[in-house]
Amino acid sequence: MSGGRRISEAELNAFVDGELVGKEAAEVEAALATVPEDLRFARAIADLNDRLAQHFAHVLDEPIPAGMAALAARAARSGRRWAPAQARALGIAGLLLAGAVAGYAAGALGRGEAGRQPAFVANAFSAHQVFVPEVRHPVEVGAAEEKHLVQWLTRRLGTDVRAPELNAQGWQLVGGRLLPDRDQAAAQFMYEDATGRRLTLYVRKEAGLTDAAFRFAERGDCAAFYWIDRSLAYALAGRLDRTELMQLASAIHAQLGGLSGGQG
Amino acid sequence: MRVTSRRDAVAAEIPRLRRYARALVGDSGEADDLIQDTLERALARLGQWRDGDSPRKWLFSILHNLHVDGLRRRSRRPPHVGLDSLGPEQSAPAADGASGGDLDRALRLLTADQREVVLLVGLEGLSYAETAEVLSIPIGTVMSRLARGRDRLRTLLAYGLETEAEPAGLRRVR
Repeated sequence: MSGGRRISEAELNAFVDGELVGKEAAEVEAALATVPEDLRFARAIADLNDRLAQHFAHVLDEPIPAGMAALAARAARSGRRWAPAQARALGIAGLLLAGAVAGYAAGALGRGEAGRQPAFVANAFSAHQVFVPEVRHPVEVGAAEEKHLVQWLTRRLGTDVRAPELNAQGWQLVGGRLLPDRDQAAAQFMYEDATGRRLTLYVRKEAGLTDAAFRFAERGDCAAFYWIDRSLAYALAGRLDRTELMQLASAIHAQLGGLSGGQG
Repeated sequence: MRVTSRRDAVAAEIPRLRRYARALVGDSGEADDLIQDTLERALARLGQWRDGDSPRKWLFSILHNLHVDGLRRRSRRPPHVGLDSLGPEQSAPAADGASGGDLDRALRLLTADQREVVLLVGLEGLSYAETAEVLSIPIGTVMSRLARGRDRLRTLLAYGLETEAEPAGLRRVR
């Protein structure tokens, strides 16, 4: 590191926790790019958080006990959405992942397979398998009408959704569709590459969760990375190898990270 | 805000409260008892919740106070490790060879203070300022407990639960 001051452990912790902004964050980012030890430390902290999230994720899906059921019945009807109490620095996940996509995807993220999947992941796989082979009607609204598509899905999901841009990665938006997911609306965006491979991004509202960790899942020959970011659940599915899918998930996460920052 | 929407807002937080409580106390029955008490106290005090305040922060504060009361009452008892309640998913081996059960046990080996901060920030995503408010401690204390708690957790996970001394290799040499 040339001339830069040393970054303390407290600062690295604060960076991973999304507590730093502006100059402070920039200093840590610079250190992460040049001091391998700092990057290792930051990754270890992020990994620990990821591990906690994975390990306890199943509790969120457990049925609510009878003693709390009266309240829960009301909660199911409640459309109220609470903005996350803080805007986490979501670029961090991408930054920490970018340097070690292959190793990270093969190692730490592999643990996602042992954990229990949220219900939306199964829906995302099903929707992928149903619509991807479709020749004439893979989507309801095509990419030519992207603006209309996004407005429509935003209205139906009741929250800002956007079709991420993956042209740089070689994937073109085909279009999207509205899907049912239990009693909610969900959205599916479809992408295609030059070789005709197809990729789907499934999105639904997931109020009450702010977990941003990437997790990996497989069904048959189809793979998916899924994550939850500011009350929205995402699952990116395709017949791709894990590393390639991880890179795409990372790019999408980075693009959408700033989306809901100014609203809610 | 109407009472109904306040109740709804409280109810919507139940899954997250349960996740936190499970991680905090380890045993699912004990965790749900803590949530039941938290909800009862919250619903009895809906009027004290100020409009505009995050329900999450308010509920986590109530939970924390009840938890601390409980710890004080049982301060003579050793910490309970709820291994009996662990399902197969939780104890399935992870890719790095450590098991989910290790994470549960490692969490139990943190001090109660460290565990709260590590979980509120690392699992529940509260900001340092929110965590400080929930626990009624200064932000500096949040940061130091967090750093110590995470170091200890990483040591326990990396070197096994038998290792009480922290190996020098894990710590950053500065």
